[in-house]
Amino acid sequence: MSLRRLDLFRRPFFFSLLLLLLTILVNFILQPDLLTPSTLSGNMRVFLPLILVAVGQSVVILGGGIDISVGAIVSIVNALLATQIGLQGDPGKATLLIIASMFVGMAAGAVNGFFVAILRLQPIITTYATSFLFAGLALFILPTPGGGVPSGFTAFYRDAALLGLPIAFYIIGLILLGWYGLRQRRYGRYLYAVGGKASAAYETGVPVSAVQFSTYVISGFMAALGGVAITFLTGSGNAQVGDSLTLPAITAVVIGGTALSGGTGGIGGAIIGALIIGLLRNIISFAHIDTWWQTFVNAAIIVLALAIPGILSLIRRSRELRETHRGRV
Amino acid sequence: MTISLSAHNVVKRYGGVVALSDASLEVHSGEVLALIGANGSGKSTLSKVINGVVAFDGGQLLLDDQPAHFPSPQAAKRRGISTVFQELSLVPQMTVAENIWLTREPRRQGGFLDHRREYEETERLLAMFEGTVKSKLTPDMPVTALSPDEKQIIEILKAISSDPRLLILDEATASLDSRQVQRLFELVTAWKQSGKAIVFVSHRMEEIFQVADRYSVLRNGKTVGEGLIKDATTKSLVDLMVQEAAVQNVVQRVRPSAAVLQERKVTLEVKDLRAAALHGVSFQLHEGELLGLGGLKGQGQYPLLHALFGDMAYSGTVLVNDAPARFNHPRGAMRRGLALVPGERAREGLLLIRSILENFQIPSWKEYGFPLRMGKARKEASDMANVLTLKMPGIDAPVSSLSGGNAQKVVIGKWLLRNPHLLMLDDPTKGIDVSAKADFYKLLAQLCDEGKSVLLYSSDDEELIGLCDRILVMHDGRIKSELSGASLTRANLIAASLGASQETAT
Amino acid sequence: MRRISISPPLAAVSLAVILFLLSGLLPNGYGSNLDVAMAQATNILRLAVFLGVIAAGQTLVIASGGEGIDLSAGAVVTLTAIVAYTIVNGQNENVPLALLAVVVVGALVGLANGIGIMFLRISPLVMTLGMAGVVTGLILVLTHGSVTGAIAPIMTQLIARPVFLGIPGAIIIWVIFGALMWLLLQRTTFGKNLFAIGTNRVTARLSGVNVTGMVLGTYALAGLLAGLGGFLVVGNTGVVHIRIGDPFLFPSIAAVAVGGTLLSGGKGSYFGTMAGALVLTLITSLLTTMQMPESIREMVLGATLLIMISIYGRERGFRQ
Repeated sequence: MSLRRLDLFRRPFFFSLLLLLLTILVNFILQPDLLTPSTLSGNMRVFLPLILVAVGQSVVILGGGIDISVGAIVSIVNALLATQIGLQGDPGKATLLIIASMFVGMAAGAVNGFFVAILRLQPIITTYATSFLFAGLALFILPTPGGGVPSGFTAFYRDAALLGLPIAFYIIGLILLGWYGLRQRRYGRYLYAVGGKASAAYETGVPVSAVQFSTYVISGFMAALGGVAITFLTGSGNAQVGDSLTLPAITAVVIGGTALSGGTGGIGGAIIGALIIGLLRNIISFAHIDTWWQTFVNAAIIVLALAIPGILSLIRRSRELRETHRGRV
Repeated sequence: MTISLSAHNVVKRYGGVVALSDASLEVHSGEVLALIGANGSGKSTLSKVINGVVAFDGGQLLLDDQPAHFPSPQAAKRRGISTVFQELSLVPQMTVAENIWLTREPRRQGGFLDHRREYEETERLLAMFEGTVKSKLTPDMPVTALSPDEKQIIEILKAISSDPRLLILDEATASLDSRQVQRLFELVTAWKQSGKAIVFVSHRMEEIFQVADRYSVLRNGKTVGEGLIKDATTKSLVDLMVQEAAVQNVVQRVRPSAAVLQERKVTLEVKDLRAAALHGVSFQLHEGELLGLGGLKGQGQYPLLHALFGDMAYSGTVLVNDAPARFNHPRGAMRRGLALVPGERAREGLLLIRSILENFQIPSWKEYGFPLRMGKARKEASDMANVLTLKMPGIDAPVSSLSGGNAQKVVIGKWLLRNPHLLMLDDPTKGIDVSAKADFYKLLAQLCDEGKSVLLYSSDDEELIGLCDRILVMHDGRIKSELSGASLTRANLIAASLGASQETAT
Repeated sequence: MRRISISPPLAAVSLAVILFLLSGLLPNGYGSNLDVAMAQATNILRLAVFLGVIAAGQTLVIASGGEGIDLSAGAVVTLTAIVAYTIVNGQNENVPLALLAVVVVGALVGLANGIGIMFLRISPLVMTLGMAGVVTGLILVLTHGSVTGAIAPIMTQLIARPVFLGIPGAIIIWVIFGALMWLLLQRTTFGKNLFAIGTNRVTARLSGVNVTGMVLGTYALAGLLAGLGGFLVVGNTGVVHIRIGDPFLFPSIAAVAVGGTLLSGGKGSYFGTMAGALVLTLITSLLTTMQMPESIREMVLGATLLIMISIYGRERGFRQ
């Protein structure tokens, strides 16, 4: 393989892997106990909601769409669990409610899917509109922050481990397994075909609308899962808890090497991207930045991360331009 | 697996534009039907009606003598009708095997994809064209990495992999070289003998005579003739395809001789121009000269015109009126009096949802001051519309309400309003009707008489021969030969287009 | 399906009138009292001005196509409201400086959006959403959560009080502003080029339009207008808080959609957006009058936008 083939500017996925290793390294230097079970578990617990939401987002983006409403779906589920389970809720009822909230997430995704895939409206503006619909619903369920889940639930989410690995790893493992199952079936091919070139997929006989519809349902499901995770993490209810997840989820997908135009990438990249964002936040908190600066630094990092693919392609294009001007194309 | 399919009196309209007015076709097992017609005659539309991509507005489709209705391409495919598309139906990011088997992936138990079988089956298909492609194709190559001819072959393999009863080849040979075309014809013959029916859409006469059994001719969306190939001649088919006798008679133009041209001012000089898919092009264009660019599609004509217009990065020397020019945006080229009528009207030349007025004036708004003197802009656009004999509902109607020929007049008119001295055109008569074409030829001749220089690429050989003073024939990003004076013949043009080397008499 | 023959801005105006008449029927509405009705109409119109000015920038970026949208408008309104509040500090003579400052700050944020979108190829939605976060962060850095300052008497006088025949200054400003926007969109090269790039950027470029410059200019101008909006908002309320601009963001997009500007770009008018701003202000005030909670208001706004894009925003199907 020639050096050129290994060119990082042409392989965004390798670039994100490199970035992940770099953030782990920096984090490790700042926090030498990073890889001890308790710190690892603590970190993964915090990262998990974003990872779950980013995975759902990556499926939509792979299929050529985008879902701005994921944060609002997270909020609905959080509001639902916090009000319905309550601080004294019993586990049996809670299990039922958690299952029910999965269906609520999928129903919200189906609403998006209906407008985008069936009525063929633009995904960005449509899911932006539904995000208000869903945010309003969350606020309707839980007008002021409050409620919550029993402390046993948060303790379980915090401490549950199997063979020394925190539960988050098993959840991620299950998701990767599920993804592998989809990838190894026709559905996986359809997804990439629809995101790659929808008109070609349609002409070939791929059920384009159904595939697009399904991506929003999957995204709704993953957002609901993220909502459960964040509820167990915080133990309390807040109808705006999901707002701060929407943009980071898209950013995670982008730094994971999935093009926003669709058709290339995978959920692995989204997981890596979400980990990078989580680790960067860790690093910021270790850098002892003034509290008032934190929102700014967080946002600036998100924008810079979004700019990475653009910067890489700028470098690539200017290089190609030079080659053209050298006259040997 | 016999099949018989017929379409009767099919009508298809796109908005106000009639693509098919009365098209019919009939094809049976064991034969190759050539569906022929000039550019824009409706060949592609008719084949898309048969394969379910296009919903038609009137007429009837009979499959095995039963009325048939294909609401989607899948429905047609289920009934054994498969198509090789002209605009490829491949997903660029996916591999060769993934593309070929899309929606028909071999599966193991539990619905899991059977990668090994898919790989083997793909190799079996790829073997059909073995030896005709430069590199060895493997099933796991991504389609983006392939050259246009290789993509076309994958498209053909994709269509045949479903073992269809009827195969539609829509301009499938356009990007293939002669060896690949021969291999395809061998395969077509074999498929025919095994009982398949084949519809072959093409405008390459020699291919039609080589492979087809019967023909069906379309002209302006109407079927105007059918018959057996063995009873037909090139001339008889061309006469059916073209309404007017010969194009040359439409244009009355005194062509300046080579000697006269040599004495005139050089308005454009190009030395060793290189860009993506353009490998060193040099030529001169004189005042009042109508210079043609010939050759098969995609031989570097597009990058040449777009590089000259500042739309593409290039290297080399360009002199406009003897002064060096380096354009990095079309604006620069416009300021020096250049104009480009691009090849794809809807995608590159028009603002479809905007008014005719605005389409005329996009390059020129700056000339109307602040606030824009709308009265003047409107009057000048209307005058131009009159000069061009534009048929329109009104100057404020959206340009999308115009027919192809009239819309093209708007694209040209927007440049004429700026009075350019060098007009470049990329296949400007593609898909426009005969009377608009005639207007067009007159206009080009008139512009040259006024001393303007014209650089014209056309996919229509007759047009180039009939109009141009000189023709540069392009092949593989280079100028293969130059035709002028006595060497300006159809035979020479075709020979040079196909890449045959020849001595040129200048 | 028959095409609706009524033009979108006209439809929006009619909708506004109908909504206003309906609001009179509410138990606590104006009923049959004409004076109260007039006063209420004037008040609604005055409230619509702020949304209208903020939505002007939104109209420009949406009309410029390329999935154009500005989600940083709310944050920019907040930032510039704070900037104006701080600079003016109760003194009339500081107002010109404050105006200059809000316009420059808004334009700079908009320009940054444009650079991210054009050069770094970040999609407008994502870029401007990210920028909203950055600006909000910047506000926290600058203010540490509390703002000191005051608006000047002249601002209250011009914006909130009646200045001519009982018409509040804000409405007069809006009328002049609307005329200028019409001039910009319909009678300048910029306006013509804006609709050209919104319709088809390839055609625009091949017709000599500097697409990159146009997009940068459009986002900068949108930021500038949001900045102006911030100035007007603080001039009206007289107080400022660090979320003051947020409630304007979603309605500004919905107003553009209601006004019939194509969300895919290339077609639209500021007159439509003005009508849309009226409709949205009416909806909000109706819901407030009916004492609907925040949650219902959000859902109604979301549903309004969803309905508008269902009417105007269908993409073409694959089958021809």
